[in-house]
Amino acid sequence: MAKVLEGPGMGLMKKWGIHVPNYVVVTSADELAKLGQANEWMKTSKLVAKAHEALGSRFKLGLVKVGLDLNGAVAATKEMIGRQVGSITVSQVIVSEMIAHKEEYYCAVKSTREGAEILVANCGGIEVESNWDRVKRLCLEVGQAPSPESLEQLAKDAGFTGPLTKKMADFAGKMFTCFDSEDAQYLEVNPVVTRESDGAFVALDAVTLLDGDAKFRHPDWNFAFAAEFGRAYSKEELEVMAVDSKIKGSVKFIEIPGGDTAMLPAGGGASVYYSDAVVARGGKLANYAEYSGDPPDWAVEVLTEKVCSLPGIKNIIVGGAIANFTDVKKTFGGIINGFRKAKADGKMKDVKIWVRRGGPREKEGLDAMRALKDEGFDINVFDRYTPLTDIVDKALQK
Amino acid sequence: MSILANKDTRVVIQGGQAGVNAARRMAEFCYLIKRPLSVEAFVYPPDAGKTNEIPYGSGLIAVPIYKTIAEATKNHPAINTSLVYIGADRAMKGGMEALDDSHIKVVSMITEGVPEKDAKILGAHARKLGKVFNGPSSIGIISAGACRLGVIGGAFDNLVLSKLYREGSFGVITKSGGLSNEIIWICSQFADGITTAIGIGGDAYPGTDYVSYLEMFENDPQTKAVVIVGEMGGDLEERAAEWYGAKKRRVKLIGVVSGFCQESLPKGMKFGHAGAKEGMKGEGSARSKSDALKKAGAIVPPTFGALGPAIKETYQEMLKSGQVKEIVEPTSLPKLPKTVEEAMKADEVIVAPLIRTTISDDRGDEPCYDGYPASELINKGYEIPHVIGLLWDKRLISKQEAEIIKRIVMLSADHGPCVSGAYATILAACAGIGLSQAVAAGLIMIGPRFGGAVTDAGRWFKYAVDNKMTVEDFLAYMKKNVGPVPGIGHRVKSLRNPDKRVKELVGYVKSLHIKTPCLDFALQVEQVTAAKKDNLILNVDGTMAAVLVDLGFPVDSLNGFFILSRTIGLIGHWVDQKRQDSRLIRLFDYLVNYAAPKRREVPPLK
Repeated sequence: MAKVLEGPGMGLMKKWGIHVPNYVVVTSADELAKLGQANEWMKTSKLVAKAHEALGSRFKLGLVKVGLDLNGAVAATKEMIGRQVGSITVSQVIVSEMIAHKEEYYCAVKSTREGAEILVANCGGIEVESNWDRVKRLCLEVGQAPSPESLEQLAKDAGFTGPLTKKMADFAGKMFTCFDSEDAQYLEVNPVVTRESDGAFVALDAVTLLDGDAKFRHPDWNFAFAAEFGRAYSKEELEVMAVDSKIKGSVKFIEIPGGDTAMLPAGGGASVYYSDAVVARGGKLANYAEYSGDPPDWAVEVLTEKVCSLPGIKNIIVGGAIANFTDVKKTFGGIINGFRKAKADGKMKDVKIWVRRGGPREKEGLDAMRALKDEGFDINVFDRYTPLTDIVDKALQK
Repeated sequence: MSILANKDTRVVIQGGQAGVNAARRMAEFCYLIKRPLSVEAFVYPPDAGKTNEIPYGSGLIAVPIYKTIAEATKNHPAINTSLVYIGADRAMKGGMEALDDSHIKVVSMITEGVPEKDAKILGAHARKLGKVFNGPSSIGIISAGACRLGVIGGAFDNLVLSKLYREGSFGVITKSGGLSNEIIWICSQFADGITTAIGIGGDAYPGTDYVSYLEMFENDPQTKAVVIVGEMGGDLEERAAEWYGAKKRRVKLIGVVSGFCQESLPKGMKFGHAGAKEGMKGEGSARSKSDALKKAGAIVPPTFGALGPAIKETYQEMLKSGQVKEIVEPTSLPKLPKTVEEAMKADEVIVAPLIRTTISDDRGDEPCYDGYPASELINKGYEIPHVIGLLWDKRLISKQEAEIIKRIVMLSADHGPCVSGAYATILAACAGIGLSQAVAAGLIMIGPRFGGAVTDAGRWFKYAVDNKMTVEDFLAYMKKNVGPVPGIGHRVKSLRNPDKRVKELVGYVKSLHIKTPCLDFALQVEQVTAAKKDNLILNVDGTMAAVLVDLGFPVDSLNGFFILSRTIGLIGHWVDQKRQDSRLIRLFDYLVNYAAPKRREVPPLK
């Protein structure tokens, strides 16, 4: 899943005929001032300025300012750009026109196993969150498009009456077309509002999650996906991602500050069981990591160096199931090189290494790991006869 | 019995190298259980019409490659299963092509990163047709003792260790490919092994879910219990629980779910497979799945580590109730033939080497010349002549000898564009011929009349010296048995117009006050021959030859000095022509003496 920020998200909705407020995304107050001279709406409408970053609770953080004139928006932009919130620095501000409205509604399209479902409610904003039972659904099979009748029925079920029924049905129809055409996994507009000037339904705020795997057939997805992670990625994480994007197979690395048990397991499935085992044993994870799909040894070496560089670690869990086709000797070769480098940099003092693995060339790989003992590593090596997560139990034994 | 894949399964693999690798693994399994290769065809348009060679036992089976599924099933009507190893952007088209073929009943997709929508469309299409679409991102399907689809099961040794050569009583369904093998292994260690193991892939919406496979296992009398390995995210495990709890089931269900660590991780931090994403409202968490399975009556060990004992307990109960009997393992199983390298490593074979070398070895991290690592030679101040000494004469030559060789190379590097070698290279360069061929054209000119006299000159001067001949005896012997003395005589140089290169080389070697019997003899020969005819001087070939023989180089290597030196010049000429973008050369008519008969009438053909 790939999260898209409001700006490009609204761009996609606009592309499929959904009314959105006029908006611009800027990286400086000067840019906004200049755009203000070129765009009539910026001079005549009340404006909203919001930090254009993947941040929750922007309102509380003072990163949403409403009811501004152009000068006010320029001042707000100046104030927001460069602000540091946790690990994220605000680098963009989205300025849009305020739409005068009275009523607020809700509309979303969500991916389901069968296909998709369209969600509609005749309340919006925070009201819908506390009245979730007012949300009505229309389930669709994959490949099936909603008929105008079914959309109108959905609107009626949600409590829309009179001319509003058709407006909501149309809006929901366009939302579905956008969802389906753009390989979206989740589209949410909250609130949908009735524009006082012309009575049109307008999307005021959009949450857009796209299927990153479908990027190959969307050449116009020229925007970057937002970090969906609750924080910005660290330098080390980005370096591993850069390696990951270049190789066959994969290497993954996420830091968890404050932990003392470092993870270097193989496989997207086993890695989570290893993490579970650490938590179940009362340990504190220092990171998440994973390599799989027979990656080149140099990529595993880079990952190993990052893992060994985590501050304050006491144990490193080099776990793994019995591989199908990942070459244990080769990938362990990368890990061993990483260990040696870390040791040469004085990083492996008082760190215990725990190994468990099986798969192609397991004997050679495990033997090579065992030989690290002679180089002064505190290493404990186990083969397939030791159950998967037992090394975590051994490592965390008090 | 088993599900999805059995002894009647016949496979077409869609895709290139990854598919071939899978076929090799599948062939190993077929060999283990003594069934013919299950892969009958490949579909890979770029290589259509060719074959892939798949090792089976100690032989090779040629499996044909087709352009389309239709061609493959037309030629191999027994095919009923397709494995898709096509890139994510074309996977859906390939999957549809397979599903739409009437012969094919099961399609398993290995491709990762397939768009969710494509996977859903494929899944829905398969259901409509009453077929099975497994995956995407599936590691494969394996039925013990019957059929392997994909690389699931791992290396040959693991197939044996995990007793996959015969069926057990446990069905396995996992999202994770790596864990499928682990569970198969656990089932073989703690119980009697598996019937069928299925990797359904870690995507959010796998084409076929736990429930469909549970239903199949329920209808397979051999399968007594099913192990499912779940992950947080989605609702597949909840649906499995719902299915299990809906009515009394014949099979026992054992389940574990990963993702409990999420509870103690910072908010928003998620990892694992693509499908491992908790819902907005906490549904799909490891805990809710685990609870749902427990509530439905499934056996849910608290951790992955407790899974083995739980399987063991289930098996012991089944043994006690007589539902299963202990299996007697076969006394012998086929061993996978070793490659020559593996057998040699195990000291099992002796191989008569095809070639023998005594000069160099690059099997380590750098080449060694006659045993000396190249980098060490460099770091200790040795130079190119020393490398020549090591590779041509297997000895470390002295500084003085190296200096002589260096001078020989420098003096013979080039002799202008008009000589045969350079001219041939230039001609080739102007015809647009590449460097190595053009230089080879120049080198081909080196022979009895051009540059190739060094070896012969060395041979006969050495013959004379070794046999202590006088100059007169030598000249008489040569006249009688050989002809003109190689190394004596020059087309343009003479006593009055001496070859400066010769003077230079002789002068230097003489200044060293070393023993040079061959050179001395050659110079004496020159005294006599040049007196008879002005241009019968010791030429550069003869000088080089005499000096090199004196240094102890083997006679057969001597032409090498000229070839080596002149290659420098030939490369220079090629680059020079290239740099100038020279045009094609054609001989002018006036440079040809047309001595052929005048134009005449062709007589009628008889």
